[in-house]
Amino acid sequence: MRNDNQEFIDGLLNDLRPTRPLTLQRGLMIASGSAALAISVMALFIGIQPALITGSLDPLFLLASGLFLMLGIAASVTVIGMSRPHVGTTHSGWIWAVAMAALLPLTAVVLGFAKEGNEFFQSQPAQGMNCVINGSMLGLIVGGALTMWLRRGAPTSSHQAGLLTGIAAGSLGIFAYSLHCPYDDIFHIGLWHSMAVVVSAIAGRIVVPTLIRW
Amino acid sequence: MIADDATMARLMALSQTGDRQAYATLLAECQKWLKRFFARKIVQQQIDDLVQDTLLSLHRKLASYDPDRPFQPWLAAIARYRWVDHLRKVYKADEAAFDEGFAAENSEPAIVARISLDRMFSYLPPAQARAIELVKIEGLTIAEASYACGQSESLVKVNIHRGLKKLATMIEKD
Repeated sequence: MRNDNQEFIDGLLNDLRPTRPLTLQRGLMIASGSAALAISVMALFIGIQPALITGSLDPLFLLASGLFLMLGIAASVTVIGMSRPHVGTTHSGWIWAVAMAALLPLTAVVLGFAKEGNEFFQSQPAQGMNCVINGSMLGLIVGGALTMWLRRGAPTSSHQAGLLTGIAAGSLGIFAYSLHCPYDDIFHIGLWHSMAVVVSAIAGRIVVPTLIRW
Repeated sequence: MIADDATMARLMALSQTGDRQAYATLLAECQKWLKRFFARKIVQQQIDDLVQDTLLSLHRKLASYDPDRPFQPWLAAIARYRWVDHLRKVYKADEAAFDEGFAAENSEPAIVARISLDRMFSYLPPAQARAIELVKIEGLTIAEASYACGQSESLVKVNIHRGLKKLATMIEKD
């Protein structure tokens, strides 16, 4: 047993290589870098909406985009924290960001019931599907970067880490795509933009845990 | 005597730069620390295997330690994760001889109390903690555990399943 143990320790010692610690700063750089890349890809291949260039911005656009951006940041910071385990750490702050972003679909639903009109059609379903697909695709850039980060780290709750990776990816993805989307209607944003986050969250919850288990 | 947190943190920071001498000392200290950490929370004969599994995880996840933070809470999170994973694997031991207590011999009882495995058990409902202790730690069969704690066999199974699921969600809980 003693020889086996010494052999085991020697094996670890021989395998030691210098490694860069996963610091919060490096994690934030990777998350923000991947978000910037998603925005660049959108600007290059899809294009920024004219209102952004002329500066004639709708208040709802600013509010909704800001909420998705904050949700993406909150989820990303939590994912980065989860890669560095530490007894005594709680990873629950993101829930409040989700609750705030959930005001968008809730508002759409409440107004939908109050108006009793054709709000679903007002939400531009055809363009809405584009938002869901493109927002989720752009989110893959962020999701991929965070998953790679998590694979180097030691997340102790792979399911939660997967869910949060999906939320971060979807939020930052739809934030990037909202810089193109010309529809500033609450029904469109509340339904379709939020759905991009939900779709990414479900995908992250299912796919990411299989990639980061250790 | 086990090295204190500051010493272990220094050794770990040096290990991350590739210093083998520091790493050898760190691994020896971690080995002693982990043996005490797992004592009474796993069948004695399984401790060496679990310690090696945990050291292997420490080695693979070296980058996940941030030198600006305390070391033992990081090591404890790695150890808890491996311990819960170990409990999920079904095994049956013939006897359960336990080592001396961990907290009693450690130089930093306040930290230990916060990161110990007992702390995790304290968050479980008593029936779930008891079922896990009897079957997964003391090595009783489901039937023996059922007789010992007065729960039906199916309830013992359900309590183990629910308890392990809950433990897995509180690896980093203080």
